[in-house]
Amino acid sequence: MVAVDKSFKERLIDFTFYCRERQFMLGPQDTREAFEIADRGYWLDRKLFQYSLKAIYCKRKEHFDRFDEMFDRFWSRYYEEKLEARKKKIKQLKKEPEADTIIFLGAKFNKPRKEQKEKEAKQTKGANEMVRLRFTDFSKVNVADKERLEELAEELFHQMSMRFKRRLKSSNKGTIDIRRTIRHGISKGGMMLDLAHKKKRKEKRKVVFILDVSGSMDTYSYYLLRYVMVLRTYFKTLEFFTFSTELTHVTPLLRANNEEQILKQIGKTVHSWSSGTKIGESLTAFLDNYGSKFLSQKHIVVILSDGLETGNVAQLKEAVGSIRRKCKTLIWLNPLKGMKDYQPIQKGIVNVMPHLDAFESAHNLDSLLKLEKLLMDV
Amino acid sequence: MNKEIEALISDFYEHDYILNEALATSVFLLKNLEKPLLLEGNPGVGKTMLASTLAAQLGTDLIRLQCYEGLDVGTTIYEWNYQKQLLHIKLFEQERDKNALGEEIFGMDYVLKRPLLRSISADKPVVLLIDEIDRADEEFEAYLLELLSDFQISIPELGTIRAISKPLVILTSNRTRELSDALRRRCLYHWVDFPSKAKEIDIIARKLPAIDEQLATQVVTFIHNLRKSSLHKPPGIAESLDWAKTLLLMNETHITDEIVQNTIGCVLKHKDDIEFVRNKTVQEFLVPVN
Repeated sequence: MVAVDKSFKERLIDFTFYCRERQFMLGPQDTREAFEIADRGYWLDRKLFQYSLKAIYCKRKEHFDRFDEMFDRFWSRYYEEKLEARKKKIKQLKKEPEADTIIFLGAKFNKPRKEQKEKEAKQTKGANEMVRLRFTDFSKVNVADKERLEELAEELFHQMSMRFKRRLKSSNKGTIDIRRTIRHGISKGGMMLDLAHKKKRKEKRKVVFILDVSGSMDTYSYYLLRYVMVLRTYFKTLEFFTFSTELTHVTPLLRANNEEQILKQIGKTVHSWSSGTKIGESLTAFLDNYGSKFLSQKHIVVILSDGLETGNVAQLKEAVGSIRRKCKTLIWLNPLKGMKDYQPIQKGIVNVMPHLDAFESAHNLDSLLKLEKLLMDV
Repeated sequence: MNKEIEALISDFYEHDYILNEALATSVFLLKNLEKPLLLEGNPGVGKTMLASTLAAQLGTDLIRLQCYEGLDVGTTIYEWNYQKQLLHIKLFEQERDKNALGEEIFGMDYVLKRPLLRSISADKPVVLLIDEIDRADEEFEAYLLELLSDFQISIPELGTIRAISKPLVILTSNRTRELSDALRRRCLYHWVDFPSKAKEIDIIARKLPAIDEQLATQVVTFIHNLRKSSLHKPPGIAESLDWAKTLLLMNETHITDEIVQNTIGCVLKHKDDIEFVRNKTVQEFLVPVN
């Protein structure tokens, strides 16, 4: 039997906490039993471990229905990595061992091992790598790239937040921008012939984000959520809603400064995360409950959804039309638009298209960064 | 798949019970962790059957306790054999040592063992089925806690009786009443759902080998479409089997409107449900389902 390593035990405890946060009634006895089955080696078989934990951790039908999805969400990365490592090991064992040294002009050079090369390659962050990740669809990011994409997103979002913080922007008129005028003068031998100007930015807008967090959209929603958190500083007011089968107002949760904490809080509060999609019903609920407060001619409304409506399409059409009439600009972000050969022919999307000011994709980092321009120009 | 679970599935199959991997894992844990298994699900999905199949598979006895409102300690755990006690007193009333006489009549020989006490007194592990626990009172549920967690029963006159061999305990519930958290915490849990179409055809074919495949498919399609309709009581596997058996006895090869009119009572047990089906054509219920 393979002994359970420390990291696995820690992960198992984390999973227990993860379940407790989602109203699973778990006591120390349950954790002890989970460790017992892990010690028996059940953790080596993913299905066996999943079903065993399910029998121990679930106490009622509501838990039972949600458990598999929660398990996959928490453990799939771990098991995928394990599988990858195992495949790699098998591949290496099958290959002929290569000579470790090269003799060149009588001198002996150590040949770098392939394993090492791969490691180095992974650590190298070249421009090509950055560009590739920037254009990779969020849902198609593999396990190995996930961490690097996170880092890149953090870096790009940070740069974006710095841009947002500037109170002035360059223009043809306005006060003279000394810094840029001097920079222009460098090419003219220090003569400041071209004067650069800057002026105040437009008045800050009010924005409402309505995010679809149903099963098909959760990867995209996660990145857009992080993106929205960066935008908080730029807009005068920012309201934030999530929906799948029901609408949740999550703005109060955005008040904390710790990004990780915010994501955790939202994960806990939004109960319909990764379930079906009732766009029309949710948007109608938004109109009924928050429309009078958060919709005006100063508001930009951004909806992120794939438009795959499972509810009433007529209701969706009416709700979107009504939102458009009450706000300044309505932008619809659809990650499916980033797919090759995508055509907006689904019933839901066809019905809402006439009411939209912009219909954009939000499937990768690049498309999210392009959105910045769209929001700033309104 | 784990070899032991695979073996369990095939053993159950030999006993005409088709287990899926998740349920097989729960049964496997019931045997290995020595923890009771709480099965919840709609009526007729095979919860009780699972316990009897487990007993048959292990070659052990099944002790069944059918729960109902008003169930008390006397009918579930033990009762004093008053007649025997009186007889003993009568026989030895001339004895001078009255204390010894008193101790004698409150011994294990004068106890009538009821299902729960029988299950922990058996020499080899038995399967104890506590059926439809949701029908019993909350007080009884509380009394069960000691048995479920420590496999022991306390009798005031005798003290604590520990299990000679721990029974495999299966509790079933149809969710007519919410069970207490304390009880749930002491059990492994599995929600037994209606089977998939392919699995249900397999179950019918296994139980009724003489049935035509087309008829079995039609029965299952009809029943699955019924379950999708909002009925008072959706039919379970037991009803599918009953209907298939009836059609087989009537030498029918396919379902027609007339057959449905005459035999739907095998499937539906509620007047409104029967009316609902009789007002529709058979074709509406034979639409292929996934």
